[in-house]
Amino acid sequence: MARTRASKGGDSTAKADSSGATTSVSKSKYAISQPSQNPPKVFILPKKATEDARIVSLLHPRYAKPTRYLVCPKTGFYELTRIAAPKSTPQSWLIQADESHGPERTEAGNRPVEKDAESFGTYVTNGAELFIATPIDPLFLILPTLIDPSGKSEKRRYISGDDHFDRIQKKSPHLWEILRWGEGRIRGLLETRLGAVCETVEAGDERMFRFSEEKLTAEILATARRMSARPLPQSMEEKFVVKPLEAPVLGVKRETTTTTTSTPVSAEATQDDSSGTNSANGTPRLETGETRSSVSSTGSGSSFASGASTIATSVAASEDESQALAAALQPAMVASDEVVSLQRLRTAFNFLCSSYVPASLVTILRVKLSALPEANFAPLDTYLSEVNRLRQEAAAARSAGDYSRKRVLDDEELAERAEKKRKKEEEDKRKKAGESRGVRELKKVNTAGMKKMSDFFKKKA
Amino acid sequence: MLEARLSQSMVLKKVSTNSSLQHLIVEFSDRTNHLQVVDAIKDLVQDCNFDCNDSGIALQAMDNSHVALVSMLLKAESFEPYRCDRNIALGVNLVSLTKVLRALQNEDLVTLKAEDTPDSLNITLESSTADRISEYDLKLMDIDQEHLGIPDTEYAATVTMPSAEFKRICTDLQAMSESVTIEATKDGIKFSCAGDIGNGAVTLRNYQNVEKEHLNVDIELTEPVALTFSLKYLVNFCKAQPLSDRVKICLSNEVPLLVEYLVTGTSYLRFYLAPKIGDED
Repeated sequence: MARTRASKGGDSTAKADSSGATTSVSKSKYAISQPSQNPPKVFILPKKATEDARIVSLLHPRYAKPTRYLVCPKTGFYELTRIAAPKSTPQSWLIQADESHGPERTEAGNRPVEKDAESFGTYVTNGAELFIATPIDPLFLILPTLIDPSGKSEKRRYISGDDHFDRIQKKSPHLWEILRWGEGRIRGLLETRLGAVCETVEAGDERMFRFSEEKLTAEILATARRMSARPLPQSMEEKFVVKPLEAPVLGVKRETTTTTTSTPVSAEATQDDSSGTNSANGTPRLETGETRSSVSSTGSGSSFASGASTIATSVAASEDESQALAAALQPAMVASDEVVSLQRLRTAFNFLCSSYVPASLVTILRVKLSALPEANFAPLDTYLSEVNRLRQEAAAARSAGDYSRKRVLDDEELAERAEKKRKKEEEDKRKKAGESRGVRELKKVNTAGMKKMSDFFKKKA
Repeated sequence: MLEARLSQSMVLKKVSTNSSLQHLIVEFSDRTNHLQVVDAIKDLVQDCNFDCNDSGIALQAMDNSHVALVSMLLKAESFEPYRCDRNIALGVNLVSLTKVLRALQNEDLVTLKAEDTPDSLNITLESSTADRISEYDLKLMDIDQEHLGIPDTEYAATVTMPSAEFKRICTDLQAMSESVTIEATKDGIKFSCAGDIGNGAVTLRNYQNVEKEHLNVDIELTEPVALTFSLKYLVNFCKAQPLSDRVKICLSNEVPLLVEYLVTGTSYLRFYLAPKIGDED
């Protein structure tokens, strides 16, 4: 179980290495007018992280920007996920230090006793932000070191771990700091992970590393496999696994329409970006009732971090259920278990690539993945192309068969038309008002064979 | 300056001076008379000009199809008082005018007033028995109307008959057909029609009633004539029937039929209708 505690603000964590991190709390007990410069934040930290754990700034592997991570010398790396209420529904935390927790904390750490409870005071935070620390594979954090900063595809040489880490020294100054932690345990951990994706050579008492893309691909694929061993979080499962595999329902017209109006999510689209930018095709779908079951992130934590574990609460959409639903709608074809698991694996792999792997490496990884014999996506591809074909057929059938659909006018055209109609009606109304019934009746009289009056009587000069 | 008053039974009364600065003053006291004039016209035309000059108020208008023409003249003698300094054209929508005249009570005096270049026509309704005065201003409009010169014609046949009789014949025959053939011979005048359900005819002979002169039927004939007319239009003309006991029907080949109601004295309401020529179905 994780325990909640108020931690110091971001600034204080920057100097986390100096073991005496102090709470810089602005004394605003009575003056409510001055908002705290360094307001407390709420974290959920793993219990197994020791008291020596610090929040440090490391280079984000994907976006190459300094990002805060929780690093524990004993148990490894944790990434912080911010969970916040949407701005439309403002919420706040009411934070009060619990005295019962005070002693426990002081016992564990060797740092000076925090000015807890009384001195900490009570806070109402501005927004209801919550930071959750979840284990992350340190492999991802050292990925930037594998890319040659010069960007040239020069021949890779065996170089020492230090040389690898050197590459991002400027961008990630804390990295050197944490390498010294825990009597080199962090360094050992990082080098182990480095070894997993590099070919290594023992040179004396020093190991030399050379980056291997094949190894990285295999490593990520393995992670993806672990991730896809169970159903993905519900939102992911639904959007990237269930929907792309959903075949159009034939025979039931309304359902067909629903399916085909949504942009067919082809295999390609899924590959491109699975991080969630894919447009949400909100197909109405039965909400499953129980749904919310948290995926407890287990495992060693230091060496294993899957994408799934980064999402604290997730929903396990049971595959049986979605299949039951699909069966109820009688779709043209149903995905086999193999296809589903392959799709899940592909989604997981894409998710890892788009979230944790530098963009420059992703393209290489994709190529390597297709060459990998153990990653055979052929059944999935066959299925997807078949689904695609069915969808196109359904769309064609609909557009050909639906005569009742009117031509869609854009707003401008509609407005113009309405205006014209209104004017005409007004004019007619005005004319009608000045017309007696007798005059209207006379309009219906057949005047064929009757000459005009002007034929008999000449105009007056 | 024009002042005009139409008195009860259209009897000419003494013309008195009116101190009003308004330029046209026309007074009708006979509600039915004026109303029927307007009623009879309003089912034929929509908008028309009332042309006022020192001799009286004249009106000429055609229906939408231009196959019928209505010509009205209310002589200055019909009004009491009547004054008109300059020629004025009052463009009136007849439906609107009917709406105002609907407020007329029996025996009311009607006074029409307008300026030289009028925007509106002032209509005052005076109750002759009670002390009640209603005043209305009717918006006028510009109407482009061409005036046709109607020559005096020697008609081949002229029939004078009770207006109610003519109306009955027209409405009766309308039930059978769209058009009627009017045939004048020395024996009499024959209204005949042929429709889907059969045919019918009404013949009137010369009739003299010394006691009740308004029931006389007089036929003056120089040569026999037979013409066909649209009954719808004729029935429309008959709406002027309350204006007068008598109606004069004039026929000649190749010219329009004339139906004339004598309002009073020399004031008249005339309708012209083009005959149907050639094949009729």
